[in-house]
Amino acid sequence: MFRTISIIAVIVTLGGIGLNCILRPCKECWRHPLRKLVHLFTMLLIEQKLSPSGVFRKLVYLLALFCFIILAITGFYPTLILDEHISGYLLMIHATFSPILAICLAILAVMWARNCRFNHNDWPWFQRIVERVTLVKRADEEISCKNSTGQKIAFWLIISLALPLILSIVLSMFPYFGTYWQELLLSVHRYTALAFALLVIVHTYLLIRSKM
Amino acid sequence: MNKGSILIAFLCLLVSALLAVAAETEQKLLGDESDGSMSPPPHIIPLFAENEAGEKGEQITPDMDFPLPFSTRWTCSDCHNYNLVQKGWHFNSTDSNVPPGRPGEPWIYYDSRLCLQIPLSYREWAGTFRPEQFGLTEFKFTKIFGRHFPGGGPGEANATEVEEIGRQLLSGKLEINCLACHNAHYGQDMGGLSGYAVQVSRENFRWAATASCEFASVTGSATKMPMTYDPFMPDPDQEDAPTVTYHEAAFNKKNEVLFDIVRQMPDERCYYCHSELYQKADEKSEKWTQDEDVHLTAGLKCVDCHRNGVNHNIIRGYEKEADISQNPLAATSSCESCHLPEDESEPAAGRLGAPVPTHPGIPSIHFDKLTCTACHSGPWPAEQTILTKTSRAHRLGTPNVNKAREGLPHIITPVFAGQGQNGAGYKPELLTTENGKIAPYRILWPAYWGILKQDSVEPLELSIIEKVVGDVFADIELSPTGDWPEINKEMIAEAIKKLSEAIEGKSVYIAGGKIYSTDESGQLIEQDNHPAAKPYLWPIGHNVRPAAQALGVRYCTDCHAADAPFFFGNIAIDTPLIDKGDSVKRMVELQDASAFYEWAFAASFVFRPWLKIITIGSCTVIAGVLLLYALRAMACVIKALAGER
Repeated sequence: MFRTISIIAVIVTLGGIGLNCILRPCKECWRHPLRKLVHLFTMLLIEQKLSPSGVFRKLVYLLALFCFIILAITGFYPTLILDEHISGYLLMIHATFSPILAICLAILAVMWARNCRFNHNDWPWFQRIVERVTLVKRADEEISCKNSTGQKIAFWLIISLALPLILSIVLSMFPYFGTYWQELLLSVHRYTALAFALLVIVHTYLLIRSKM
Repeated sequence: MNKGSILIAFLCLLVSALLAVAAETEQKLLGDESDGSMSPPPHIIPLFAENEAGEKGEQITPDMDFPLPFSTRWTCSDCHNYNLVQKGWHFNSTDSNVPPGRPGEPWIYYDSRLCLQIPLSYREWAGTFRPEQFGLTEFKFTKIFGRHFPGGGPGEANATEVEEIGRQLLSGKLEINCLACHNAHYGQDMGGLSGYAVQVSRENFRWAATASCEFASVTGSATKMPMTYDPFMPDPDQEDAPTVTYHEAAFNKKNEVLFDIVRQMPDERCYYCHSELYQKADEKSEKWTQDEDVHLTAGLKCVDCHRNGVNHNIIRGYEKEADISQNPLAATSSCESCHLPEDESEPAAGRLGAPVPTHPGIPSIHFDKLTCTACHSGPWPAEQTILTKTSRAHRLGTPNVNKAREGLPHIITPVFAGQGQNGAGYKPELLTTENGKIAPYRILWPAYWGILKQDSVEPLELSIIEKVVGDVFADIELSPTGDWPEINKEMIAEAIKKLSEAIEGKSVYIAGGKIYSTDESGQLIEQDNHPAAKPYLWPIGHNVRPAAQALGVRYCTDCHAADAPFFFGNIAIDTPLIDKGDSVKRMVELQDASAFYEWAFAASFVFRPWLKIITIGSCTVIAGVLLLYALRAMACVIKALAGER
């Protein structure tokens, strides 16, 4: 069941991203693919203009991305490819990198949250409804924001999903939950991990698109 | 009449005769089918002996001068179908059509002087040998091991060797001793000085069941009688002739006796053959210091789970037994089916008061990797395995038992191994339970003299070993405790040399997981990892410990620690050789697992508390951020709804 849902979800997500590429193509990418590829690679580097906190933020982000890749491979490979529970060395690697990702997510939540606040630029239609209901005109000040609405949504969803993702597995380590709840927690972990992974892919795609 | 008609008529007759025989075999008699009453019927019945023709003889009365022993076959068969009972698990070992099922406790022939300790069984259990391979006829087998089986099976087989045919005419057959299990009277004597076991050892097979009951006593010994002695024409001058004396008071006016027969037999009857004594520290080896199985302590009886109908096809109670068992309750009598019933149309949980376990904190992958008994049965694992004694292997409950802890045979426990580790004679298609789960076992390192045939080893017959090896080892000093004598490799080489001279083929000796042979120059060669040298393992079902004493109840490190006995405990390697090389094996080696992986995985549990602290701390921060911005968002909404800008 989970395997089927996962495969469908991955196909739909990747299909959506592909469709987005077709409908809103990056013209520069088609013209100068090599240049853009190099550009993409340079995004992994630390820019000199960054402040110390900016450097730290980027390092944490890159570390989180690395941990995510490791966890996704070790977590989904046995489940989706081998059709069995995670065990053996994969489990040990999974359990080693998971607390690092948890720390990175906590740091990113603190450091990115302010930049990912929603403002009236994100929801013009919602703003209009509010104005019509309250008859209060919005202030004219412009809030500059580096992130697109999609990125913000993805960020908040990722942060929100991180809680059940982490807690579902950590709580199962305590001797409070019986077999039924253990299996439920494992299912919660599995499905939130799937949603989390897809959101990270979407967020990364949007981040790359915004930088290109 | 043409030939075709004659053939058809003959076939019809044959079929009807076979049907009649089958119907007779399956026919249910008065006592075989319950009328539904839960009250047990009193068994006030006449006793009948077997006559010379092997048929129902005359009724036994207390005024007979030389009464014969009563026959259970002819006494009980008025109301119970004896042929049907013979198909039961306890009596059908010699029937090759019966699936062997999960490997069980073998019969162990041992002899310290001959350095022998060999597992035998009529069932095709991987790692055991058929008694005839070892040169034991059914008659000899019965004489040696009949003390601890309730008759039937090999005990009722017809002798085939000339001398044994004569002896069997005298001793009779070891009929099924119904009383061994069903007699609830406190006088039932199985292991007493003149009880069942002693009568069997005296070849008083015909008298054994009678001697075990509370109202008869038997003296004399068939072994001391000449083969020409006729037990049906007793000679009063023969002092050693087997003689039975019935207590007159047991008979009523109709010359009937009252048997205290019960359907649900007391546990003590089962214990006669199914006791076990763990050889821990001296004080703890005492019977009174050991707890019973938790099910018995809770008020159940052995037969509450190990049930059977009139065909005596008793439930052994292991996982997947229902695949091969004809017992309709087999599917609902394993640990899981009482404690964790699934897919039932009616609620089945809590049967017999079984609590449904919650297993808090135990990841469900454990249920795929372990049997229930791995955590709940047998002694708690320790750094070193211990020796254990069982009724059948060590003659427990019979006179003059060797009480020394080192006495042979050496059964080692608890060993945590993956199912399907048994070596020689392994027939996976016969073992429906080999699903690789780790289970607790008792193991026996076979020690025997054999002959190498291609890749397999056939045990040599006992008579050859007694003659050849007995001569070589005639002067060795035997241990007063019944332990192995001190044997070195030169002595083994000498014995192999002598055996090679006496028989055709390459003779070898197997002990301690190694196979010893000699090269052309007579030098001893030893080889490890030969299938024939693998230990014989049979699972521990009982005693079941309570949940509060199950493995993992304290913490994961009960098993997942770098030195946890469950994976890294030492299994003693048992051999009579002084210079045995490796004296231990680790549990993990019998689990199809990597020792490094298990160590690394166990070591990771050192960091488990840190993992919990870090991840919960991270979650707290994330939850704080989410809460903060959720409150701020709510503040915005409240402001907007309040009409503020």
